[in-house]
Amino acid sequence: MRPALIKEVIKGIFRKPATIQYPKEKTLIEPDFRGRQYADLKKCIGCSLCAVECPANAITMVKIPDEYVVPKTNARRIYPVINYFKCVFCYRCVTVCPTSAYLVTNEYRLASSAPIDSSQLSLSTTSKAGGA
Amino acid sequence: MVEATHLIEIPLTVEIPVGPQHPALHEPLLLKLHADGERVIKVDVITGYNHRGIEKLAEKNTFYRDIFIVGRVCGICNAVHANCYVRALEYLLDVDPPPRAKYLRVLAMELERLHSHMLILAVNAELAGYETLFMYLMKDREYVMKAKEILTGQRVLADYMMVGGVRRDIDEVKKSRILDIVQRVEERVKYYHKVFREDATINKRLRDAGRIKQADALAYSLVGPVARGSGVKTDARAHDKYDAYNEIPFNVITEDYGDSYARAMVRFGELYESANMVKYILTHLPQGNPVPDERKLPRRFPEGESYAIVEAPRGELTYYVSSSGGDKPYRVKIRTPSLNNIVNSAFAYVDQMIADVPIILGSFDPCISCMERAVITDLRRGVKYQVPLKELGGVKK
Repeated sequence: MRPALIKEVIKGIFRKPATIQYPKEKTLIEPDFRGRQYADLKKCIGCSLCAVECPANAITMVKIPDEYVVPKTNARRIYPVINYFKCVFCYRCVTVCPTSAYLVTNEYRLASSAPIDSSQLSLSTTSKAGGA
Repeated sequence: MVEATHLIEIPLTVEIPVGPQHPALHEPLLLKLHADGERVIKVDVITGYNHRGIEKLAEKNTFYRDIFIVGRVCGICNAVHANCYVRALEYLLDVDPPPRAKYLRVLAMELERLHSHMLILAVNAELAGYETLFMYLMKDREYVMKAKEILTGQRVLADYMMVGGVRRDIDEVKKSRILDIVQRVEERVKYYHKVFREDATINKRLRDAGRIKQADALAYSLVGPVARGSGVKTDARAHDKYDAYNEIPFNVITEDYGDSYARAMVRFGELYESANMVKYILTHLPQGNPVPDERKLPRRFPEGESYAIVEAPRGELTYYVSSSGGDKPYRVKIRTPSLNNIVNSAFAYVDQMIADVPIILGSFDPCISCMERAVITDLRRGVKYQVPLKELGGVKK
């Protein structure tokens, strides 16, 4: 008996490396990869169902600041803020939403030293009253 | 007063702790070896370094939140955990998922078996000191992870199962991509099978290491590839025929000899079977909508209890769910295959060399995060009479 892998190893020396040099090269990610998601405030009705159903308790319902325009359906003026450090990206909030208000992306690069949540992204979906 | 008639002298043994942090073990588990020279006399399996209390957590959360919580019991076999729990919920609700959903569930679980078996074969090679083979196997395993990402949306945690179906459908493009990946991986698996059969390192280290006879495998109720490697034809897919396993053809692979090498060969046989099943599913997928509307599922469950069995990559996994009526389960009981295989198999190390212990443990496919949920009491044998040291450890020659 002899080492059987030797031919493969010699071939491998002349092949392109399998390792992706991540920060320099992009990792190929599927377009429907479960990445960062956030609520669209034009559709959200503030029903809190996503916060109730979240298995990781990552969603809290927060009051929308007064200067933002909110549709009449969201009478309580609250919206879900996802803490991405807690989120497990199961997309239960996306599938359980009665108005399909969640916007989904395949963004997976969420490493950060400061806490990150979805408030800025969600608020950017609506406009400020009086402003453009 | 009774006069003493015997003097009992017990020879010196060395107690060697392997783990909970050890280069050969990837997860925290303590194997306390009692060795006489290079020979292992007795092994105590001590667990409890990774306890997370998931069963209790499941009682505190609603039925639907638990689907995602039980998926996190084990990273490698998360789809089978979720499938088993979801089927237990379906038995409670008396719901039957559409045929397409059943096929897609089997597809996700067989992809998982593919990557799980490739992982443990790679780890077997690594523990035998063959890190080149480990790297090559792990490289090809990554293609299966990609197939899983195409199907479920994430490469490890699938979150694919839902009461009444699956959580996303598959289209023709995805089908052909997964088929292409599986065909490519199957070719590679054939090559690695050849390596395992012909290579000197693998054969010298794995053969005759941790032999379990068929009678022992039955007596200690071992499950999964460990039992099948000892010639016990046990497979929950074959005898329970859950989901679409009654329509998809496959064989139960067994080997007779029962050593680490036989267990590796069982896993290779199952890799071929899984690849064939994936190809069959992708060419015979029934039509229909497999995705239930999660907004319309019932929130409260009827009173009752249910029990579901699934064949995880490591063996038979069962879930018992008890509902007292309401939106939270009264009790969720998880019985994982690793708990059976690791705690009950301490006899397999006896009379082996110390250096073979990691190889034997590796061949059982240990999943510590699965099994960390029980307190194991070690019933030591009473030492009252003079016996050969080997007999103390339970070796009967």
